[in-house]
Amino acid sequence: MRALCWEGVGKLAVRDVPEPQVRADGDIIVRVRASSVCGSDLHLINGYLPAMREGDILGHEFMGEVVETGPGVRRHRVGDRVVVGSVVACGGCWYCRTEQYSLCDNSNPQPVFTEKLWGHSPAGILGYSHAAGGYSGSHAEYIRVPFGDVGAFPVPDGVPDDSVVFASDAMPTGWMAADFCGLTGGEVVAVWGAGGVGQMAARSAQLLGAERVIMIDRFPDRLATAADRVGVETINYAETDVLEALRELTAGRGPDACIEAVGMESHDVGAAYGYDRVKQSARLQTDRPTSVRQAIMACRKGGTVSIVGVYAGLIDKFPLGAAMNKALVLRMGQMHAQRYIPMLLDRLAAGEIDPGYLATHPLPLEQGAEGYELFEKKQDGCLRSVLHP
Amino acid sequence: MTNGTRWALLGVTAATAVGVGRTVARRRHRHQPERQNGWYVVRRGVTVDRPRDAVIGFWTDRERLDQALVGWAVLEQLDDQRWRCVARDPSDGGTEWRAEITVDGPGTLRWRVEDGPVPQEGRVELADAPQGRGTEIRAELRYRSGPLRRAFGLVTSHEPDLALRDTLRRVKALIECGQVIDTRRDPSGRSPAQEKATDKVREKLMTGGRA
Ligand SMILES: NC(=O)c1ccc[n+]([C@@H]2O[C@H](COP(=O)([O-])OP(=O)(O)OC[C@H]3O[C@@H](n4cnc5c(N)ncnc54)[C@H](O)[C@@H]3O)[C@@H](O)[C@H]2O)c1
Ligand SMILES: [Zn+2]
Ligand SMILES: [Zn+2]
Repeated sequence: MRALCWEGVGKLAVRDVPEPQVRADGDIIVRVRASSVCGSDLHLINGYLPAMREGDILGHEFMGEVVETGPGVRRHRVGDRVVVGSVVACGGCWYCRTEQYSLCDNSNPQPVFTEKLWGHSPAGILGYSHAAGGYSGSHAEYIRVPFGDVGAFPVPDGVPDDSVVFASDAMPTGWMAADFCGLTGGEVVAVWGAGGVGQMAARSAQLLGAERVIMIDRFPDRLATAADRVGVETINYAETDVLEALRELTAGRGPDACIEAVGMESHDVGAAYGYDRVKQSARLQTDRPTSVRQAIMACRKGGTVSIVGVYAGLIDKFPLGAAMNKALVLRMGQMHAQRYIPMLLDRLAAGEIDPGYLATHPLPLEQGAEGYELFEKKQDGCLRSVLHP
Repeated sequence: MTNGTRWALLGVTAATAVGVGRTVARRRHRHQPERQNGWYVVRRGVTVDRPRDAVIGFWTDRERLDQALVGWAVLEQLDDQRWRCVARDPSDGGTEWRAEITVDGPGTLRWRVEDGPVPQEGRVELADAPQGRGTEIRAELRYRSGPLRRAFGLVTSHEPDLALRDTLRRVKALIECGQVIDTRRDPSGRSPAQEKATDKVREKLMTGGRA
């Protein structure tokens, strides 16, 4: 079959690879119908999330059709149209039982790397390097989905592929980001990063009761789309002093909750950014934390900072003093896909969230490398390239 | 970059390197296995999200245990309390070792390797985990190491310890979700040579942990 493979830092190519096989009772094989790019892939492609190996198949946000089931599979049949959560969860450990699926104890068969780096190993993730289990990804004609009964969900009729594909990752991540904020109604929420994840977080915050959502980015087209599709206020950080603007927009209080949906390749204008880039490229710090710092500084006293942008290692100039003395709540994590997907599919079917507009660039799998280039450089209004094998 | 910044950067690097070096050294030290009368002793534990009976049930359910051990060990029941285990280590050219397992009471068993590359004995105890979080499997392993290996400091890479952690993790996975996940031989665009190199990396990332 054909698959989009990582061939070294910044290098991607479509190759002929063997087809996956059912290897365990709970496995299902899915013929991929739509597989999206995600901001996390950029961290992998660019070598900031470690442990990629030449030939690894990328992709973790996808949907498709079940073509084979292991003997232990109960909830799926051949021919079912399913969407699959990016995070692999066994369904049987304490973390899975308490719906903290991205912390599953048993789904990363190669836990040593992350145990050394982080003290414990979280769940495996499909197509997400050998630190996250070494699973083959979804930018391919077929993919093996372990624990198929836990990770795959039937798609409601009438919801198009290029919309439901985001129930795999961007929607549950955005929902969790908003869920972390503990909204009770009427809050002002600020969201850093107007990518797919940030936009889904903004919509989720509205559905969970936020009265106003303010979005921060530097790409005018992304901000305009968010304003238009989600109904947010916007700040362009390349033109405006963000902290100043947020204070003014909230009459001095600061946002009740700040969501960070940017991640470790955060960009900035000014001197501190140069310092962070130098340190990151010399690996003196692994992550560039501009937007996290800003979120902490901007947040109102006693508010919540919710981080879903991905970080891997160490940062410096982390304003712990601000967080401590303002009594902030910090929440963060990889999303618990399986916890949110069924509810999100209902909302999708009911039209409460419509993520279809994120699929700005549907492309054949063969143009995968091009799709990533458009996505990384945010060219041609690209929010997400969705590959069709 | 001014000279000043360069020095500052260098200083940070040096401090980091020394700091990391220290931590690593301290850790190495901490993880030297304890010695007792010529035996190396390691203790490892794992928490299984099932009540104690279910964990005991796993050990005594021949079918599931065989399934768990398929390919690398055969169990033979000697009498009510005793089993013989014959295992083959595929990573070590198929070396065979035999162990006798004795059940001492509810939730306690011990084993002794009678014939194998490394003299070894061990004990497993089950205890209820707090807050209804299932069962703690606590294992203690004693092994001897040859004089040559000791001279070369090879005990620091104490394989029996790695193997013990690996086994505990496998047992936990088998009880909790009925399988040990494996991503080797998943599709990739690698050549056979690249795949071989990647398998070596996988092996390293699979064994041990929490070092
Ligand atoms: N926690 C999870 O489970 C999870 C799941 C999916 C994605 N993610 C992460 O979420 C993040 C966003 O993903 P995405 O797919 O939307 O990526 P994306 O690249 O489409 O969007 C990131 C956006 O952040 C903007 N940005 C960069 N620097 C900024 C700054 N200083 N302030 C404000 N905005 C800034 C960029 O211009 C871009 O529009 C990534 O880090 C990704 O790894 C996390
Ligand atoms: Zn993702
Ligand atoms: Zn689990």
